[in-house]
Amino acid sequence: MDPLLLGLIVAIATIVVLFSGISVAVGLLIVSGGFLIVFDGMRSLELMPEIFFGKLDNFALLSIPMFIIMGASIASTRAGADLYEALERWLTRVPGGLVISNLGACALFSAMSGSSPATCAAIGKMGIPEMRKRGYPDAVAAGSIAAGGTLGILIPPSVTMIVYGIATETSIGRLFLAGVIPGLMLVALFMAWSLYSTWRTGDVNLLRATPYSWREKVEILPRVLPFLAIILGVLYAMYGGIATPSETAAVGALLCLVIAMVIYKLWDPRALWVVLRDSTRESVMILFIIAAAGVFSYMLSSLFITQSIAEWIGTLDVNRWVLMAAINVFLLVAGFFLPPVAVILMAAPILMPIITTAGFDPIWFAVVLTINMEIGLISPPVGLNLYVINGIAPDIKLKTILVGSLPYVGCMILAIILLCLFPGLATWLPNAVMGAGG
Amino acid sequence: MAGQSSGAVARTGDNPFLRAVAALSTLAGGTAAAMIVAAVLITCQMIWIRFVMNGTTVWQTEAVIYLMIAATLLGLSYVQRLRGHVNVDLIPLALPPRARKALAVLTLSLSVAVIAVMLWYGFEFWHLAWSRGWTSDTVWAIKLWIPYLALPLGLALFLLQLVADLVAVLLDVDKPFGLEDA
Repeated sequence: MDPLLLGLIVAIATIVVLFSGISVAVGLLIVSGGFLIVFDGMRSLELMPEIFFGKLDNFALLSIPMFIIMGASIASTRAGADLYEALERWLTRVPGGLVISNLGACALFSAMSGSSPATCAAIGKMGIPEMRKRGYPDAVAAGSIAAGGTLGILIPPSVTMIVYGIATETSIGRLFLAGVIPGLMLVALFMAWSLYSTWRTGDVNLLRATPYSWREKVEILPRVLPFLAIILGVLYAMYGGIATPSETAAVGALLCLVIAMVIYKLWDPRALWVVLRDSTRESVMILFIIAAAGVFSYMLSSLFITQSIAEWIGTLDVNRWVLMAAINVFLLVAGFFLPPVAVILMAAPILMPIITTAGFDPIWFAVVLTINMEIGLISPPVGLNLYVINGIAPDIKLKTILVGSLPYVGCMILAIILLCLFPGLATWLPNAVMGAGG
Repeated sequence: MAGQSSGAVARTGDNPFLRAVAALSTLAGGTAAAMIVAAVLITCQMIWIRFVMNGTTVWQTEAVIYLMIAATLLGLSYVQRLRGHVNVDLIPLALPPRARKALAVLTLSLSVAVIAVMLWYGFEFWHLAWSRGWTSDTVWAIKLWIPYLALPLGLALFLLQLVADLVAVLLDVDKPFGLEDA
């Protein structure tokens, strides 16, 4: 059979299986096993466990559970609330007040936790009630936190970027750096929109901030600085070439756990177990998809599907930007339904050859892909962050949250367009810090 | 919505088989968490030796990788029990109760089938490593049947939990896909 036609059949089968409600990883194993039996015979299945094991046999993967433990121990504490309060107290002179500190807190917390739903929950729990109390419209309060939370997968350290780095064999250090400027750009766009929509309500008082005394400003610092220092230390050790991401992340994980126990008094074994249980659940879930996606991409290449698609795209005489637009639409749609990690792992083996053939930079593409995934996090039907907000503020209608989030989707699309016009936004920083190439 | 924990932990009722499997999965989950913590500590110890004591390390990197793999495989059943494996449940949500149950039975049966196949060949793979005395080609040269043991063990526990989930749906002890208000 023509590998391209076969590829189409595999794609349809995968969509059908994944939409059946089966877990993503098991679904990938079923599709892989099914096609291997039909086209390569029963004995080809005997390689599945070996590939599964081999895919996990990689020291770089260790950074995933390590960063997850870091994030989970920070998220288990009051750190989100403290960070929020600290920014609120320190940003008094900045016009725009509360909504600005909220978005700033989201950006910082996402850097610390590396997880979008965790950021949403941690900052939203404090931020949304506070904003509503002071009279911000519900749509702005909910929308800004939902959007701010998505920064978790773009601003380093980000588990999504690690997974991309492993799936495409690109440098995780470069990927982290590539997310910084686009992340800050998104924060700025989000802030601009929030200020505009607050100003539009006509209530000028909302744009003023409450003054705080120096005492209030200083006393909160000891509760916020340790975690920030660890994250900065981890990033410094990585870029100083002192140790690999996995090694630095392990030290970071241990330090974050210790600080959670010392400063936030996480002594209760049950509370500690919750952190470890949640980290284990998250890590196992991601690592299982990584291993299953490894089997899936083995199946694709042993049936020559990957190679044929890349060749076929090469012969197509389309403008590379048309191609990029098509890929973006595909990613956007996939992101509407699937969690970022699953999209990246399934799409990477197919998209990577296409991207590089068309002359795009894989580091730059990682940022575009991640922003696409961020859009999926605040769009129906799946939009994880929308449901997190819905859980925190049950009396705000899901529809209001959705409508409030839409302008931020616009900001993200604008960011993707800006990245296409000025690829340097993503590629300049990694090249400046780590040298060009590689 | 898709995502984790779209419901509570899998229910067992007072069915002894379901409770036994749940206890086994929880035990495996605890072991997996302990292995991840061990990996954190060993990595930190390795960094200490390498960067502070200026020494060389022999077994740490490999041990940490194998601990992580074992944690993943042993964790599968526990995460299944916590409903932590992400899925897309738009269609199950849209279906009426009877169709939803039928779909749950179908997807769980397929899962059982594919994991059973993986277990079978995983056991063969482990047995090969054991009977031929394979060792890793590093200085440490660990006997590979030890890390490979996680494959048959983890997959067997996972299979058991999937069978238990199937039984729970068939006996109406648990809701299909763990979704409430069926």
